[in-house]
Amino acid sequence: MITLQMEFKKIRRKKIGLTMFALLGIQFAWLLWSTNNPNEQELLQGWLGHLQSQPLICAIMMPTIMSVLASRLADIEHKGNTYKQLKTLKTAGALYRAKVLCGFLFLFLMTAANFLFLLLLGYKYGYVGNPDPKAYLAAFILQIACCLSLYLLQLDLSMLFFNQMIPLVVGLCGSMLGVILMYLKTYSFLPWGGFLSSALVMMDWNPDTRVITYYYRDYTPIELFAVAMIFVWIVFFYTAGKILFTRKES
Amino acid sequence: MKSSFRKAVRAERLKLKRSPVWLAFIALPMISAFFGTFNYLNNIEILKSEWFSLWTQHSLFLCYFFMPALIGTYCSYLWRLEHTRHNWNSFLTSPLPFPALYFGKLAQAVFMAVLGNLWIFFLYYICGKLSGLNSPFPKDAASWFLFGTIGAVAVCCVQLFFSLVIRSFAVPIGIAMAGGILGLWVTNKGMGLCYPYSLYSIGMRANNPNLELDIGAHLVNSAGYIVLFAALSVLYLRRHEISAN
Repeated sequence: MITLQMEFKKIRRKKIGLTMFALLGIQFAWLLWSTNNPNEQELLQGWLGHLQSQPLICAIMMPTIMSVLASRLADIEHKGNTYKQLKTLKTAGALYRAKVLCGFLFLFLMTAANFLFLLLLGYKYGYVGNPDPKAYLAAFILQIACCLSLYLLQLDLSMLFFNQMIPLVVGLCGSMLGVILMYLKTYSFLPWGGFLSSALVMMDWNPDTRVITYYYRDYTPIELFAVAMIFVWIVFFYTAGKILFTRKES
Repeated sequence: MKSSFRKAVRAERLKLKRSPVWLAFIALPMISAFFGTFNYLNNIEILKSEWFSLWTQHSLFLCYFFMPALIGTYCSYLWRLEHTRHNWNSFLTSPLPFPALYFGKLAQAVFMAVLGNLWIFFLYYICGKLSGLNSPFPKDAASWFLFGTIGAVAVCCVQLFFSLVIRSFAVPIGIAMAGGILGLWVTNKGMGLCYPYSLYSIGMRANNPNLELDIGAHLVNSAGYIVLFAALSVLYLRRHEISAN
């Protein structure tokens, strides 16, 4: 607890929360733009449509946002050259856990704000019916899991490399991969493809009527395995990060 | 001024020596080219315009979202050394005028943006040939390259300013990414030429190789952003007390 408190003290006045919510603001603006002036069909399927578009927007933006968050939290130690000193005060594992928890709180709040915005948007436009609580809860948990797996990967890289360009370029490449995978597949085993695997709703576009129909996805065993991979990545990145951080000299 | 500029460029080159920052400019366009070509070959019965269709697949996401962010990463890296430890003291007390110091950094950023653009076009040519495109390479590509590069210089100036003012390495990259995404909306509204992050994608004719570019507006706006943000950066260096960390 003290170590976590210390993390929050270190980032005081660093405006990390502001940066994260500014980036999230862009995501909100995108959602507003893409859902503007819904027609009758869109009002009818609005709640489902959100569950389809949200993972796609996240696949583009979240790898970069997570790399920014992780870099902001890890770079403080690089700049101050404080890793060695910190390790004399607390165990390396406790320090790593505190950084993970600190980032997790940020991404939890961001995801909560994100879903709250989706709900507000839906009620403002007057989508027919109410959102399916089970589906929205599942989507919420899966988005947190995807963000956490990416955050852990980025945190590991940001802590290992003094040159923050490397983790941020990995984040950018991840965003690029996410957006490209979106066009090629509906699931992926890569950490950046987790958002695609976790999309609970798919769409069917009829080129003749130009109408989009949304429907709940029927997961095949391989797609379920791709969803399970998100959690495998979390465990893998956490364990690897902890070991690497413990062994890191300075 | 001329010799000061040369010295500043040499100093910047020394700072970047043995630093593999150029790798990013190689890797990201490669991902885009690989998957773009793959997607083109998979949809060859719909995408009938050969080189132009291939260009849309290569350039769409790269030019709108990722090139501005990549330029932002490089600009952040250029100022990172100055933002670290007590390096502002030595930077600001170096016997070179502030404009020379700034333009030394800008020259490096522009050099890398030009190299990155050349690499994008090289990959485009190779992927086209490997895909079996027999029609001649489009002459318009020279114009895409030229105006894309001019737009990239404008992005370099904007990002160098943000990276100078904001001490964090990561935040300006987030700004560049957000700027690129907003650029998609601004371009869709028909105001892309007024927005710095869209100048690059419009100049490159990303996703629309047949676009009739308003050359005058593109040049004037790019020059305007270059002058504005270069002046702001030099002014910031002159007027602000930049404390060493």
